[in-house]
Amino acid sequence: MSVTNLLENWSQFRHGHPVDDKPHEEYKWAMAIDLDACTGCNACSVACYAENNIPVVGKEKFNAGQQMHWMRIERYWPEDGREFADQGAQFLPMMCQQCEAAPCETVCPAGATNHTADGVNSQIYNRCVGSRYCSANCPFKVRYFNWYDYPSTDNVWPAEMTQQLNPDVSVRSKGVMEKCTFCVQRMTAAKNTARNEGRLVRDGEVQTACQQACPTNAISFGNLVDPESKVAKQWAHQQVELSKEVQAKDAQEGGTDLRGYRIMEELRLYPSVMYLERVRESAI
Amino acid sequence: MHRFLCLSILLVGLFANTGSHATEVPPSISTADDLGPKVEQPIEFPHDRHAGPRNPADAADPSVPAKGGMEINCMYCHTGARRSAVAAIPPLQKCVGCHQTINSVRETPRIQKLFEYWDAKKPVPWKKVHDLPDFVRFNHERHIQRFVFAQNKPVQEACGYCHGDVKTMTVARRQKSLSMGWCVSCHEKDHPVDVAATKTTHGPNDCWQCHK
Amino acid sequence: MIENGFNRRDFLKVLGWGGAVVALSGCGNTSVQDGAEIVTSYVEPPEYALPGIGVYFNSTCAQCDAGCSITGRVREGRVLKLEGNASSAINRGKLCGLGQAGVQAHYNPDRVREPLLRNGDKGEAITWDKALGLINEKLNGVKGDEIAFLTGAVSGHVKVLLKNYLEALGSKNHYAYDAVAPSVVRAANKKAYGVEMPRLRLDKAQVVVSFGADFLGAWVSPVHFSQEYAQFRKGSDGARGVLVQIESKMTLTGANADRWIAIRPGTEGILALGVINALDAAGLSLPADVAAVSKAYNAERVSKDTGVSAEQISKLATLLKARTPSLVIAGGAAEGYKHGSQNAAAIALLNRVLGNIGKTIEAPANVPFPQVAVTTGNRSSVQALNDSMANGKLKVLFSYGVNPVFTAPAALKFQDNLKKVSFKVVFANYLDETALAADLVLPLDSALEDWGTAVPEYLVEAAQLNIQQPLMEKLHAGTRGTGDILLALLKQRRANEYKDYEDFYSYLRSAVVKNKSALGGAGADDDTFWGETLSEGLVKLPASNGALSAKSSAAGLVLPAPAEEDSAYPLHLIPAVTANLRDGRHANQPWLQESPDPLTTIVWDSWVELHPKTAAKLGIVEGDIVEVTSRSGSVKAQAYLFPGIHPDAVSIPLGNGHTALGRWAKGVGINAFSLLDQVVDKDTGELALNETRVKIGKTGKRVMIVKDEGAAGGSQAGKKIAVSASTDEVELSGEV
Repeated sequence: MSVTNLLENWSQFRHGHPVDDKPHEEYKWAMAIDLDACTGCNACSVACYAENNIPVVGKEKFNAGQQMHWMRIERYWPEDGREFADQGAQFLPMMCQQCEAAPCETVCPAGATNHTADGVNSQIYNRCVGSRYCSANCPFKVRYFNWYDYPSTDNVWPAEMTQQLNPDVSVRSKGVMEKCTFCVQRMTAAKNTARNEGRLVRDGEVQTACQQACPTNAISFGNLVDPESKVAKQWAHQQVELSKEVQAKDAQEGGTDLRGYRIMEELRLYPSVMYLERVRESAI
Repeated sequence: MHRFLCLSILLVGLFANTGSHATEVPPSISTADDLGPKVEQPIEFPHDRHAGPRNPADAADPSVPAKGGMEINCMYCHTGARRSAVAAIPPLQKCVGCHQTINSVRETPRIQKLFEYWDAKKPVPWKKVHDLPDFVRFNHERHIQRFVFAQNKPVQEACGYCHGDVKTMTVARRQKSLSMGWCVSCHEKDHPVDVAATKTTHGPNDCWQCHK
Repeated sequence: MIENGFNRRDFLKVLGWGGAVVALSGCGNTSVQDGAEIVTSYVEPPEYALPGIGVYFNSTCAQCDAGCSITGRVREGRVLKLEGNASSAINRGKLCGLGQAGVQAHYNPDRVREPLLRNGDKGEAITWDKALGLINEKLNGVKGDEIAFLTGAVSGHVKVLLKNYLEALGSKNHYAYDAVAPSVVRAANKKAYGVEMPRLRLDKAQVVVSFGADFLGAWVSPVHFSQEYAQFRKGSDGARGVLVQIESKMTLTGANADRWIAIRPGTEGILALGVINALDAAGLSLPADVAAVSKAYNAERVSKDTGVSAEQISKLATLLKARTPSLVIAGGAAEGYKHGSQNAAAIALLNRVLGNIGKTIEAPANVPFPQVAVTTGNRSSVQALNDSMANGKLKVLFSYGVNPVFTAPAALKFQDNLKKVSFKVVFANYLDETALAADLVLPLDSALEDWGTAVPEYLVEAAQLNIQQPLMEKLHAGTRGTGDILLALLKQRRANEYKDYEDFYSYLRSAVVKNKSALGGAGADDDTFWGETLSEGLVKLPASNGALSAKSSAAGLVLPAPAEEDSAYPLHLIPAVTANLRDGRHANQPWLQESPDPLTTIVWDSWVELHPKTAAKLGIVEGDIVEVTSRSGSVKAQAYLFPGIHPDAVSIPLGNGHTALGRWAKGVGINAFSLLDQVVDKDTGELALNETRVKIGKTGKRVMIVKDEGAAGGSQAGKKIAVSASTDEVELSGEV
């Protein structure tokens, strides 16, 4: 959680229950993504490139699996052997799920990835030594490694293009791991404003870049500690709880009429991202 | 912290090239006021003249050159400090705003140089003295809000925590190490949250608070 | 937030602000250092500019013609990121990936930086005075009808100046060209509803049936439609809207449909009449003229012609009858045939019989100032231009905002005919294929540096005039704004009329301020009104909604029988307009190249989409380099097997295959425009994009396709990753 925690009780903190042991005080940032609203248009992904100084690696490196998109749209087809994908594709925006019991954190030999007090999984670039254990241990495969020194790589950021880079976000160098931060620079800015005014960050005051761009408002983001936040209401309506590993929808035989779920719940990672199932009309 | 660091260095040593950090001697984390190198500026700006204490012998008449300082508030020029992450070097207009009416020093070499820039409408290429690593997110506003506005500390004292006793300097020179250990040494201490000092709390210690 | 013009320049200056510059490399400055960096401060700061704090300016996105309003985040004089402007009814604070990439068009290292004059094979840098003088000189003694101006869709005050310039030259030859515009649908709409593009109220519809309109991807105003789509999905009182997409090649919209219906290419109109027939059978009373036409389209025949099962047709009719209002949209897939107009007319009839006109099909807002309203582009204009070039009629050609050498179908031989024009002036941001064929290239400011106005074609609620203003200082001293160039050219002809305007900015300001009372600024003083206009980034125009005139009669509607088999070229080529690359003008923006195609997840290349059945018949597997040959041309590209395409069709995305344009575009993929046969829609003369027939042959080579779906081809491997439920299983009402 922090330097103090690292020093004081590393292993105990890691093995304890992620929520009950250390309830969140002011903030617990979380997301809800409605797969029925998501159209797979990629606006979120491009917005993420723009906000977070993500390098464009080009075809060859993409082929080697070295793409850096923190936010990617996964696309699935039905696997029942039908002739046409006649109910369309399944799109899923996938980025760091900010797990409460993050498997990446426990394996980092350098302590470069930690949990913040806000319930977000931080990545400290200049602490990272590039072991890539975290990426190997991440079931969502949302951690991206800098195989090259992109700032000095031809055609990644030619001089003119560097002027677009966001000064609030480090440009990562070769040999470090990176991933979605829930736009920590925006949260920091919002918390700063709130502090000046002696209050907490209001719901909607901080938007992640992907959420802000999304033309169908499929992504909501906010503070789970605040019961009045949109995201907390969505989680509550779907009866998805941060510290549970089986959610209401799956707890009941035959399911319920709810849509909320988290991916790979069985791994007990307690992700901070709830997805809402895509819906398809039965009458056609 | 120490044991933890040893562990990571040991593991890093197992990888051939990635471990090049490990072969370097880590810079010592010092909290002493070790003076940074002298930085040559395009104009030798005398901080002492502007922010230093008044000399009682100085007359009120601005046409007579003063011997002492003018006790100008740091934030009169560095206006960003209370409202932005960066304190900001004042715009040239600010310098000229006062100096066009101060005839006593109008013909001194430094002021002449200042007006050369002004006439050419060129900014002065000041050298950065307190230059943190690029991955650090340091916010002046938070520190000033806390120490000056919440705790009512004198401005020069609050600024001095990191910048040293600038009012005694001519050209500013770094006095603190500004290393991470040095930052943390202060963040670990309990500071009162307001002037009444009924409650204390330490500075934030999340990595992401300062690393961007 | 925004100030007057005079101190704006200062603000836009780029600052080298030490403390705020980007951490370009973690390896750059990794320790505390003294005196290594220079801090530059303002000489005279505008009061609102504080280093370290972002300022936001409103402008208009120029990446496509939808006219979304944008807000640029500016720090230390540099524009960093574009967001949607919440006060625009069109995009309501949202922005698509294409729009986001606008900063890469601006900072692009491949921009043209000074006027270039042809000298043999090379472009020689010349001064602006020389360039403009040369144009004046070349126009001497040239008759008006020997001069032509080719543009894309154009609106606002640039259009006014352009028209005036042509008038000054005595020319009537303005060709507005858009290679992928829905121009046949526009003409059919005009006939069916009395307007070219009515408002399509997805948000009010319970069922949307789209015949190949990719309104979520690349059709007309996708960001706006996406927002309406979200409302449509949520539905009023929890009744979720149902989307049925009918097309031969799945678009992004098709991928989001509740039911995607693969249809034999070109038979969309037949299916529309078949659905009307089935509605009749289901008990919907039809107007006599419609019934007379549709009675021949019984389920059996329609099913045989279209390849859509009778059961599916009757299910669709039942749904449409039960849930009203609905909305039927004809899109690119339906219009791309010789009988595209008839297809679109048949589809429009569905709206009539379902009673949607006036409910989900509404009259658009009128633009009270027709001189600034958009002139939409179409494909027949480039054919007309090509004809006059081929006849040797043209002596001087201006081209702005289009790249016909790249997008015109191969059969036109556009590039050869272009050579017959003795003096070709191209206004260009990049040295694209057309600019390379020019005699004189005039380098333009980027959309984030230039002044302008625009009126979107697809208007929402009220008409609006979008303001385009610089978000930062010009990057290159040698570029100029489009309006500034046109003004300078006009001054050569009508010096007196334009002498009061020092630059395009002053012209624009005075033109807008002059009309302030009509623009909601009555009573305000000029500076205040102008300041507020810039601050908003748009002005709402006084509303006067037009009316629909439903005059579509089914009488005389004849649909040809499905295309006969062509044994030499057995497959239909469907060139795909993708949300990322559209007609190819954005191919040099690396974010868009690296952004995977949503359906295939392929990056940085072109591909040939085939149904697995077709591929199996031809012995093709994924990654095979196949040769696709039409009567007009041939290309080689990687094959991608895909369950979202009709077995009679193959599809190749447009936009890639540049031989110029820039470092990220050149040599990437192949150009599908080069395959197109010159077949036109009979009614409108528009190029029928889907009429090209092709054959496919293996080359014996195979590659690994570079795509994002991974080796498993996007399998969930039995895990619950992306989960889907049917409407029976979930309760949507009450959701937050």
